[in-house]
Formats: sequence, structure tokens, C-alpha cells
Amino acid sequence: MIHKEYKTELTGVRYLSAATYEASFTRPKNFSFLPGQRIRFSAKTIQRDYTIVSGPQDDRITLCIHHIKDGKFSGIFASTTPGTQFMFTGPHGYFRYFPSDDQAVFIATGTGIAPFVSFVHDHVRGFILLHGITGPSEQYYKEQLISAASLYIPCFSSRLPDRQNTSAGFHGRVTRYLEKNLPSGKYHFYLCGSAGMIADSLPIIDERFPESKVFIESYA
Amino acid sequence: MKVYTKTGDRGKTSLFSGERVLKCHDRVETYGEIDELNSFIGMLLTFLPKEEKQIVSEIQNIQRVLFQIGSWLAVTPDSGYAAQLSPLDPAFIENLEQSIDQMDQALPELHSFILPGGGQAAATAHVARTICRRAERHLIRLVQNEKPLGKKTEERMAITQIYLNRLSDYFFILARYCNMLMDIADIEYLPQKKPADTA
Repeated sequence: MIHKEYKTELTGVRYLSAATYEASFTRPKNFSFLPGQRIRFSAKTIQRDYTIVSGPQDDRITLCIHHIKDGKFSGIFASTTPGTQFMFTGPHGYFRYFPSDDQAVFIATGTGIAPFVSFVHDHVRGFILLHGITGPSEQYYKEQLISAASLYIPCFSSRLPDRQNTSAGFHGRVTRYLEKNLPSGKYHFYLCGSAGMIADSLPIIDERFPESKVFIESYA
Repeated sequence: MKVYTKTGDRGKTSLFSGERVLKCHDRVETYGEIDELNSFIGMLLTFLPKEEKQIVSEIQNIQRVLFQIGSWLAVTPDSGYAAQLSPLDPAFIENLEQSIDQMDQALPELHSFILPGGGQAAATAHVARTICRRAERHLIRLVQNEKPLGKKTEERMAITQIYLNRLSDYFFILARYCNMLMDIADIEYLPQKKPADTA
């Protein structure tokens, strides 16, 4: 299947933390997507997929991008003047939210929070969210997520300086929280983020929550 | 994106519908066979004469349908995920039948069994035929083991089963057709004589 190509225009960039920014684009009129899906940009031989943060009804498309130092692509939007045009294809991917009687548990690392923010824009509520980050400065979209979640747990993987140690959250990796803190039960797990987090989470889910369902989007 | 995710290192995998299952689960075995079939079809394509554009395009369409079947098999019946997938169009079966009839008309009539083989394309088509039969058998077992299914799922699985049944017939005829294109005669099956008779 050949995906349709769309023209879009960068409308703005704002930094969410020192190394992560949100890029906003105009939304092509005939482009539709489901929350959790990605769009793909190409430059020469490089292709990069980014999960859409905004909702399916929003006028703009927003992306949450980790700016990798010396990366080949991730800084491209941050260093471009608003008004610049780009082409993308999509929507790509099958990571979607399915309402269920079982409690939904969203697990993200870093910018893997993107699909869950899009879910919230699409009125998903009452979920448990574990967000694996190094420190409080990476709690992207915190207010939005807190208001929609039944439980929002930032999981700080780095030892924080004493002045930040009072931050509300769990001090340890998301996998540690799964192992020690999440009560036994049957859940719908949605995992999005680093391949390492996903590979480490699955054995814990298989062992502690064997009746649960798991949906995965890996940022390898 | 890296090909290896390490998520299946402990012998389990996730279905599209979210369930964690062992990789030897009937459902995984079945879509694995569809994948195997599709790969052999890919090999078959490399052996076809380039000028046979219609057959090449027909076979690539079959590969697309097999992907669709694979998606269906990776979803637990009657789950929310199943509703997201488009059902297999019965027209795909009709297309296969038309192609079978078209090729069959060009072929000499067959009066006995033939030995699988001949040219590379025909031999590969025979392998595809047998994998297709195996996938069909596995699908039947899967459906039987998971009964009762919802009416819609029953219907969808029935269409898939018919498609696989017809597809193996297609590969049988295609094997003969490929041999004919390459001027290779089918070798009819004759019972093997007893070793004593051949001395």
C-alpha cells in the first residue's frame, strides 16, 4: 500500500525541556488519523516517524520530539523558520486505544508520552499513567494528563538533586513500579517508548498480570 | 528502527488484540504458515518469466490478501480489534476462480496425477500449494478449537478457509501453466514397479 503524501507548514516550535520540543504544523484539509498513529517525514535516505500529540479534531498537528545531539533528523524542525513547508505520509501504525472494563495502564518513557496525550485530546479518561523520565523537567503535558488520569505517576529514573527530591512521584524506573507497586489484577497495558523499557516490562506483566492485554509501540 | 526488539525473547508474543500468548499457540502457528506461504510466493515470483506481467500482478495481489489474512489471524475473534479490520472480500475468491479457469483452458487435459516438479517456477508453485494446504488445515483446527464463535467471525473465517482452499488449486494450475510456458511436460504419475520387476 502506498501512503498518500501531504503538504504541511511548520507554524511554531516551543521547548518543553532542555532537549525536547513541540513542533506544530498546519493540518492538511483531507488528512485524518486516529489517536496513537504516526506520520512519517523523509529527508534524502532518512525517514523518521513521529506520533501525533494533538487530537484528531484539532486544527493543528503537534509532535513531541526529543532533540538528539548530533542526530541526523531530530533537530530539523527546531532549526527551521516557521512557514517552511514539509511533506509527510500517513497515518501509520496500529497503536490505538480500545475502551474496556479492565483498567487501562499507560506506560511511557520520555517522548513516548505522545500517543497518550492524543488519547486525552480524544476524551480518554480514568487511566493509570506511569511516565518514565529522568527528572521533573520532563513531565511533559503534566497538567492535561493529571486532569484526565485516575492516577498519574512520574517515575524518576535518575537520582535527583536534593532540592528536587520533594517532587511528587515514584523514585525508580517504571518497571520497578510495575514489580512492586501496581496491585495484582487484569489490566489493558499500553506501552510506548524505548525498546529497553518494553522488553523489560513484558516479563513482569507476563508474571504479575498474566490475564492482561498488552499493546505496544516501540521507539527503537 | 531496529529489527530486533527483544520483546519475544522469552517465547511469548502479543497478538494484535493484546493477548500475550506462547509462540507455539495455534493462532501464531497459523499466521506463521501464512507468512511462510507468502515468502515462498515471493520466491516463486523471482522464477516467473518477466513478460508474464498479468500473472506477476495477480500473484502480488495474492500476497496482499495473505497479509490481510495474517492480520485477521493475529486477532482474537470477536475482540474490539477485530472490528477495526476490513473483512476479506468474497470477490477475491471469484478472482482466483477466474484465473484458474483462464489458465486451465490453455492447458492440456489431465488424466492422472502428476509428479510435483518441472521448472523452477512450477516446482516452487507446488511447494506454495502444499504450504497453502497446511495453512488451511491449521486454520480449520483453530476455528474448531475456538468454537463457539460469533456469527460474523464464523462468516469471516469461512471466507478465509474458502480462499485458502481455492488458492491451493490456483497454485496447482499455475505450476502446470508455468511448465507449459517453459515447454516442460508434466510427468504423469505411474505406480512404481516392484524392484524385482525392474531387475
